[in-house]
Amino acid sequence: MSAFLSMTKRNTALFFKDKGTFFSAMISPLILLLLFTTFLGNVYRDSLMSALPEGLQLDESVIEGFVIGWLFSSLLAVCCITTAFTANMIMVQDKVNGTRNDLTITPVKSSVLALSYYFSTAFVSLLICLVCAGVAFVYLGAVGWYLSMTDVVLLLCDIVLAVMFGTALSSVVCCFLKSQGAISAVTAIVSAGYGFLCGAYMPISSFSDGIRNFISLLPGTYATSLLRNHMVSGALEKMASDGVPEQVVEGIKDAFDINMYFFDESVNIPQMYIIVCSTVALLIGIYVVINLIAGKKEN
Amino acid sequence: MENIIEINNLCKSFKDVKAVQDISFKVKKGELFAFLGLNGAGKSTTISIMCGQLKKDSGSVVIDGEDIDVNIDSAKRELGVVFQNSVLDKPISVYENLKNRASLYGIKGKEFKEKLEWLDELLELDGILRRPVGKLSGGQRRKADIARALLHDPKILILDEPTTGLDPQTRKKVWEVVARLREEREMTVFLTTHYMEEAADADYIVILDSGKIAAEGTPLELKNKYTGDFIVMYNTKEEDVKSLGKPYESIRDAYRISISDTAQATEIITKNPGLFIDYEITKGKMDDVFLAATGKKLEGAN
Repeated sequence: MSAFLSMTKRNTALFFKDKGTFFSAMISPLILLLLFTTFLGNVYRDSLMSALPEGLQLDESVIEGFVIGWLFSSLLAVCCITTAFTANMIMVQDKVNGTRNDLTITPVKSSVLALSYYFSTAFVSLLICLVCAGVAFVYLGAVGWYLSMTDVVLLLCDIVLAVMFGTALSSVVCCFLKSQGAISAVTAIVSAGYGFLCGAYMPISSFSDGIRNFISLLPGTYATSLLRNHMVSGALEKMASDGVPEQVVEGIKDAFDINMYFFDESVNIPQMYIIVCSTVALLIGIYVVINLIAGKKEN
Repeated sequence: MENIIEINNLCKSFKDVKAVQDISFKVKKGELFAFLGLNGAGKSTTISIMCGQLKKDSGSVVIDGEDIDVNIDSAKRELGVVFQNSVLDKPISVYENLKNRASLYGIKGKEFKEKLEWLDELLELDGILRRPVGKLSGGQRRKADIARALLHDPKILILDEPTTGLDPQTRKKVWEVVARLREEREMTVFLTTHYMEEAADADYIVILDSGKIAAEGTPLELKNKYTGDFIVMYNTKEEDVKSLGKPYESIRDAYRISISDTAQATEIITKNPGLFIDYEITKGKMDDVFLAATGKKLEGAN
């Protein structure tokens, strides 16, 4: 236990001490924030306004509550994955610079080392995502707070789940990386690509049918949708109570990926939880098997 | 003297590459053992198997009386390894590194403090303990590496080219520490090196070539078996050297004459006393042994 805690502490310290790694983890969320504050926020604000019936006057705070909530749900979705990937690169760096050999000549089991990488990555990612969530709550509090206590609790659960998903996915991927070049390539691809894949830069509903169907096959899509649902459901309920017709609300939900579809089948929130939880369990299982096989190659 | 490492018929292949081919050797407790070979000769593979980082195909490895197939954890506790390149975490301090690695052996609290005091006294770590490893000079980093390898008080210290790239002063310091550990703690030192004069100080040498043992013995045995002696004559004329009828080579300010052994040197000198005013008789060098045993020149040899 002491070896596990010590290794988890060491991995966490390495992440925060290496400014380059920390910056890599934050670059995607920062780009996203920049995009939203410069023009995407306005695009979505206008898009939402144009969807509302003519003559209906909504409180500006509801609009802001929805747009800012959507922004931060995107940011959190990206952050959970990119932070996990960059934090888990410590596992790869240990292989690249030979530190792994120094760790495996000790009597500590390789399974303990594998667990320590998983937990430190999850801890670091969760910490950063909770800071982002805190910023989101403060921002929403300033422009339009429509979250219920249940929304907040469920949102925190979604963050934990998304972090576990990101950590498990990155753990499996990182097991196969063995060079500095591979680290750079994967970090760059994940940072640049995941925002598009999860619909952070633009809603999935705006993609073509083929791409939309492909994205619906990816479990991460549902983790993002869970975050969106709990971040903006309060604002949508307020819109409905302020006289926005149900059809329009449903249209907004479809357009902003609050409603998710697997091909043409609607996926409800419990189903989303089942998909994400099952994927996390499956990925952790794969990670354990990979480590067991690697352990057998050692003595 | 009892054997602390016993390797019997060890084999390891990577697909078609036979990295280690049926090698057997023993290391006695407290001795300085040198393991020589070119890159790819099988040294690192053998060390990785000894440390439990690689599974062998066949053969047995016994460390301090424990078969690694039966109790690898016991073997790991008796081994301290100084890797060729520093493997400590560069962003964090030497102290944090040592504390982390100590915890992997279950060493913490007062016990860690005591170990640290001993290592500080042995290696003079005081000035570098709180500095990040990445900011240390090569010599300071090597000290930290040695401290890490000694943290759990191992019976066997494996030094994988420990002085490569170090300045002479730090090399000297490293060897002073090794000598002290052998004297005070009867520590067995298992050395791989490219510096032949370091190997020449070993108690026993095994030379590996393409995964097989090409030669083994004490430095004297190897020199006697694989090389002859040399008479180096200073301040003399080439005609005089030629007149001795032995093969020779010209070196700066002198001629180096190859002879079979010291007895032949005595014979030549007593027959030609007038020619031998300023001279010395030397044994062959470990470079010559390596070349004769493997037919290859050791890279970086000097």
